[in-house]
Amino acid sequence: MQTFKIALTIIVALLLQMLLPKYLNFFSYIDLPLLVTVYFGLQREPVLGMVTGMIAGVGGDAVEGGILGVGGFSKTLIGYVVGMASVKLSLENPLARLSVVAVASAANTALFVGLHQMLEQPLVSTWSEFGATIGWKALGDSVTSLVMFVALDRFFSEQAAARRMAIKKRFYE
Amino acid sequence: MSANTAQRKAPWILAVLLLSQVILMSTNARHPESEQSFLRVWLVTAFSPVVHGADAVISSVRDTFSSYTANRHAREENAELRDQIDQLTAERNKALERQAELDVLRTQLALPSRPQYREIAANVFSRDAVLWFRRLTIDRGTLDGVKRDMPVATAGGIVGRVISVGPNYAMVQVITDKHAGLGAMLQESRAMGEVHGLDNDRCELKNISTRENVEVGESVVTTGLDRIYPKGLLVGTVESIEADPNAPWHRIIIKPAAPVDRVEHVFVLLVEQKDLKLDETGK
Repeated sequence: MQTFKIALTIIVALLLQMLLPKYLNFFSYIDLPLLVTVYFGLQREPVLGMVTGMIAGVGGDAVEGGILGVGGFSKTLIGYVVGMASVKLSLENPLARLSVVAVASAANTALFVGLHQMLEQPLVSTWSEFGATIGWKALGDSVTSLVMFVALDRFFSEQAAARRMAIKKRFYE
Repeated sequence: MSANTAQRKAPWILAVLLLSQVILMSTNARHPESEQSFLRVWLVTAFSPVVHGADAVISSVRDTFSSYTANRHAREENAELRDQIDQLTAERNKALERQAELDVLRTQLALPSRPQYREIAANVFSRDAVLWFRRLTIDRGTLDGVKRDMPVATAGGIVGRVISVGPNYAMVQVITDKHAGLGAMLQESRAMGEVHGLDNDRCELKNISTRENVEVGESVVTTGLDRIYPKGLLVGTVESIEADPNAPWHRIIIKPAAPVDRVEHVFVLLVEQKDLKLDETGK
């Protein structure tokens, strides 16, 4: 059941990523597959984080365009790093989750642009454009995560309960 | 696998997954058919009906609201449109007269007549899914006769070309995409260059010598030499010219004739590379 719910979440994220930018121009700055990756990475299961990252990343590459595997590579890595960080650090509170999303978004943009540059398909022309894009994307992803993570917490109520338990455990220890 | 075992094995799993992505990237990066990969076609074909359905529902709701607000200005708009009809009728009559003259001259000079290509209408149901690429997804695919590299246009001008196609969808690379390019020329002087996307809903016409006289507002049309777009399709108009006296080329910014950033309906020209090759040779 859990696997089915995770698969459904990835599919819905990809469908919304295809649909919404047509109506909301700013949505191009938001990366829903990345937010799904970070959410599952934060469940203190690095394997779940990276597998989700790989599937969401490759799926994103397929529906959004570009070189297949670039998004898969960056999101697999981010899923793993966020998963390991959530095991070693206390990242359960909303403020920490927001910071993780911002850093993950910046890292994802840098990896995506860097890998395209390495494969001789540059996406940005100047450093200032690159910096501005990282900033806007980090802002867009962070703001969206506030709503999306609440929705996902409701959908995955067992994981959310486990997260709350972890917060209490760390607090009392 | 227990949580601890999984965590211990995580770096190895990561290495395997990253290696698989590197292989995927390497095989796709240089491959000319990479946009047409099996995974992309399979996934977008599966997703298209859902996105298309959702798009139809959202569009109908939005149209209901916008038609109410549009009604409030209908009287003024009607008067404006009547003026436009008069103006366009006069222009059409002139164009028909010129066409008749051209046909006579073509016959006298024994020039081959311009071929007419079949076209099919399509709806845009997805646009610019990510920041990096200017792409549209339309609801026509191989089942409708659409193939890769077919040009896509509106009545105003060209929009782009098909880069990936499945049974029920086609992905279109818009001319403003940074990686898009096409052969184009200035309509008056016939000076030829290349149009490249600038990613900001504008294009740049390159390789036009500074010795050429270029005017703002001049039309830019396709040359037909890129073997994708037939000759004479309107690309856009010159918006600005940056002339550097020391540079050999003008920097010409073009405003696309088609509203590429908000286009809802397009048509696909069912023309293939081999047809354009035949046109060039005049057979």
